[in-house]
Amino acid sequence: MTQSTCRTAVAVAAAGLSMALLGSTASAQDTPAWCGPNEASLALLDGFGGNSWRIVTAEAGRQEAELCPSITEYLYADGQGDTQKAISDINSMAARGIDALVVFGDAGPAVLPALTNAYRAGAIVIPYRVVVGGEAGRNYTRYVAASFVENGVLWGEWIVEQFPDGANILFLSGPAGNSQGLEELEGMMQVLDDSYVFLNPEPFAVTNWDPALTQQVLSAAIAQHEDIDVIVSDFGPSLVGALPVFENFDRSIPALATSDGNSLGCFWQENRANNSDFDLMTVETGTDNVRLAVQWAIAEATGGTPPESDVFTSGVFENSITDQPNAVQCEPDLPGAIYLSSAVPAQVQADAVGN
Amino acid sequence: MAQTDTQFETRGPRQAIHQIPLAKGFVTIVGSTVALIVLCLIFAPSAVSTGALVGSLPFAAVLAIVGLGQMLVVQQGGFDLSVPGGVSLAVVIATHMPSGNDADLLGAVLFAFGCAIAAGVINGLLVGVYRLNAIIATIGMNALLFGGVFAISRGVPRTTTDLLAEIAGGRTFGINHSVFIALAILVLVSFVMKKTVVGRRFEAIGANPLAAQAVGLRVKLYQMMAYVFAQLHYCVAGILIAGITREPTAFQGNSLLLPSVAVVVLAGTSLLGGRGFPISVVIAAFFLNQLSQFALAVGVPFSAQTIIQALALVVGIGIYSINWTTLTTKLANRNPKEE
Repeated sequence: MTQSTCRTAVAVAAAGLSMALLGSTASAQDTPAWCGPNEASLALLDGFGGNSWRIVTAEAGRQEAELCPSITEYLYADGQGDTQKAISDINSMAARGIDALVVFGDAGPAVLPALTNAYRAGAIVIPYRVVVGGEAGRNYTRYVAASFVENGVLWGEWIVEQFPDGANILFLSGPAGNSQGLEELEGMMQVLDDSYVFLNPEPFAVTNWDPALTQQVLSAAIAQHEDIDVIVSDFGPSLVGALPVFENFDRSIPALATSDGNSLGCFWQENRANNSDFDLMTVETGTDNVRLAVQWAIAEATGGTPPESDVFTSGVFENSITDQPNAVQCEPDLPGAIYLSSAVPAQVQADAVGN
Repeated sequence: MAQTDTQFETRGPRQAIHQIPLAKGFVTIVGSTVALIVLCLIFAPSAVSTGALVGSLPFAAVLAIVGLGQMLVVQQGGFDLSVPGGVSLAVVIATHMPSGNDADLLGAVLFAFGCAIAAGVINGLLVGVYRLNAIIATIGMNALLFGGVFAISRGVPRTTTDLLAEIAGGRTFGINHSVFIALAILVLVSFVMKKTVVGRRFEAIGANPLAAQAVGLRVKLYQMMAYVFAQLHYCVAGILIAGITREPTAFQGNSLLLPSVAVVVLAGTSLLGGRGFPISVVIAAFFLNQLSQFALAVGVPFSAQTIIQALALVVGIGIYSINWTTLTTKLANRNPKEE
């Protein structure tokens, strides 16, 4: 090794060392408070992972876990909509000795016994977004909720702003009796008085969040009611296929209060000019709910400082009238099935959903 | 196109139109549909308004096509539970492969038909040749097809192409294209079934496979082809759904399984195999669709809507499965003894 080569090698090594030191200093500074010093493994368990919302959510969960260097292993399991598999996944993760489980309990109380067993076996268990029954401290560590009531309040307030003298509202939600729809209605009822009339059967028109069924339900509703002022839906993208039905009746698409989605934003931009009443307000669709659940799980498992709240609240995302906090967003070159309100960058979402 | 009760009659003395006996299923389903329309006119006129029909008829057309496919299988004494997988696979192929590009649509459609034929051949081999139970074989195929759905789409919906939206979702003379397509398929199925040697043999084999075997008909081949043509029907239905709904989910076929059986039963097809009634199946699809629209327009809760549809199925089975003449006679004979 010549002298000059040796010097170069020392210089490179020194540069590398300083970079590493800088990096570690930076990562120490960036380590969030909820990330404690104890090493732990973490698993995200989805009851059903087969749609874009869940894929983006899983990506958000993974990104959040990456922020904590104490997490030594991150696993993901998809229950594929099968309750038995979801239960089996929970049992399996507990048996493997995974320290913290974040669970989207689609099957509701059906997964509670498995969660309880995992909790009693010593795992940190954080169910989120879907009520699974039981209680924190006995069946699981903590439940991280989504404030669907708050979504209802936000929609209600926007409706009051647009229609101060009352309005006819059509409220569409998912499967019959789903708790999300019921909570959203509760939120709207806190804001809306008797001058606001719900045209749908109580508590909401059932659509199963299926675009085909939504189209049929909407056709029947439009034929029946000549004066729909505003449609409220808790899954905006499922309306994209159904809203053109208004054209069949030679009527403008009415005002719409819903949750965001790229396909919906692009649909609005394409159709606003021909539909004079088509104002749009969206709340964030909540793919970042999982981040709060992951923070809680990591804080409990690694000895970090838990977040202040255990309730995830969505804010307003788009408002076509005020453009506050955002004008209606559309990324025409990216897939429709991504969510621009998500903290996961749009291109990363596009890659994740495989488009 | 009235159905006659004489099963395999191809020649005979000419009958005046009023002498042709109508099939029980045809009379029942037409009577029920007319009664339903009258009910709609009285209690829920909005359900039969032009706009509502334009909105709902495409789905009736899809159900009619799926029902015609299921009918072919039921005619051979089987059941095809791979409807959801077959339809969903066609939906995701027709939306994901072109990815909004009209130029790639034809290739995607051809690929969808190829997959449908492959699925149908496997179903047919398992059931027709290797004599597996139809329910077991087709439920396995359904899982396999959903594997394909996930492999192609990962469960993520994709916006349909403009061309497909125009072909399947557009209108000519105010009538949805999907309705024309369903009617064309109806004419084709009816013609082949009732007016060709192949069709008559198909029905004969369904009615009595042993007798058909004895006279030298290729029973296994016909039974296999029932599954192949059924899958082709599901494929067409899936492609239509992909055009009718702008952004269909990857599981769009799930809601079609029960209705597909319901329309076949309501049309009077024997679950033991035999004759098929294509026109009645299509009318039954319209009937079920209109029943949903009626329930929605009247504003009954979702639970009641589901019960109404289930009752329609039970009544349908009751009408055809119970021998009402014998039952009434028995009851009439028993009453005097009790007195």
